[in-house]
Amino acid sequence: MMYPEPTNIWESIEYSSLGITIAESGWIFPTLETIHVIALVTVIGTIALVDLRLVGMASKAHRVSLLAKDTLPWTWGAFALAALTGGLLFISKASSYVINPYFLWKMGLLVLAGLNMVYLHLTTWRTVEHWEQDPSFPFAAKLAGWLSLIFWVGVVFFGRAIGFTLGFYY
Amino acid sequence: MGDLLYNFTEWLRSTFLVELALWISDTPLSFWIVTNFWTIPIIQVVHILSIAASFAAVLMMTLRVYGLAGHATLDETSRRYTKVLWWALALLVLSGIGLIVGEPVRELINPIFWIKMVLVIVGVIVALSFARSMRGQISHDSFVRGGEVVGGGTKATAAFLVILWCLIMAGGRWIAYAPV
Repeated sequence: MMYPEPTNIWESIEYSSLGITIAESGWIFPTLETIHVIALVTVIGTIALVDLRLVGMASKAHRVSLLAKDTLPWTWGAFALAALTGGLLFISKASSYVINPYFLWKMGLLVLAGLNMVYLHLTTWRTVEHWEQDPSFPFAAKLAGWLSLIFWVGVVFFGRAIGFTLGFYY
Repeated sequence: MGDLLYNFTEWLRSTFLVELALWISDTPLSFWIVTNFWTIPIIQVVHILSIAASFAAVLMMTLRVYGLAGHATLDETSRRYTKVLWWALALLVLSGIGLIVGEPVRELINPIFWIKMVLVIVGVIVALSFARSMRGQISHDSFVRGGEVVGGGTKATAAFLVILWCLIMAGGRWIAYAPV
């Protein structure tokens, strides 16, 4: 099949041999999607366990620092896998994704979720051993938990919305 | 494989499921879901978040059994995650029913949907009995991991569960790609 000459960087990515291989195959895209789902579900599930503990809704008998130590390596591993598969999915339809507002919202929320996590770890989390035995956590910790839950639910919503609206914008 | 699934679809088309699917699509609820564009994506989001909770619960119990994560006793770990599992399963079933009502033909006349349903039933039974088998196992020091003796059977069940859960998620994604 012949492809038009790329007119911008996104089309160059899409019409690369890797992009074309993924787009033309009947099984590569769904397989990447499947791995992407398994990875993102692991990311969000493990993050939510810590978030729900931070906001005080679940596992109150467990120390949040230990819970985070248990879940974090798996969160990061799964995140790397989700980013890799997501990147490959992106390559196959790059120029459709970059003009899709839901895709842009999803990327924006991912950045916010990351900043929220970094901020928590640089501030309130540094003294976690002092407050994790208290009946109620500091406001900043609870807020970070709620924000994380909201951002990640948003990421899932916008991610799903992309699949329903990909042909809408051009 | 493609032929097998195609024949499965042909067989599904000869069953009462066709009439059931058409009947569901005539209900006001189904009509309402179809005419509101964002309903299906939103129900799918609930479905994905519930699978995230249930998979995290299965994963954390499995890691605990292998001594790879978890600072609580097996008993405490099981109690903590069985609660998550039940909540997640309730939401999964509810959102799943919503998706069937919204798109009855896409789901009920779909071979991968039925393969997934069988896997789900096996997965739920195994997950709940696995969680139960961890009950009552308390080590001497509740915050030292690996204090208990975990049998090979329990470990094998744990690994089987994680694989099964991944297959269920794969089934969910491939419903959209079934050869119909």
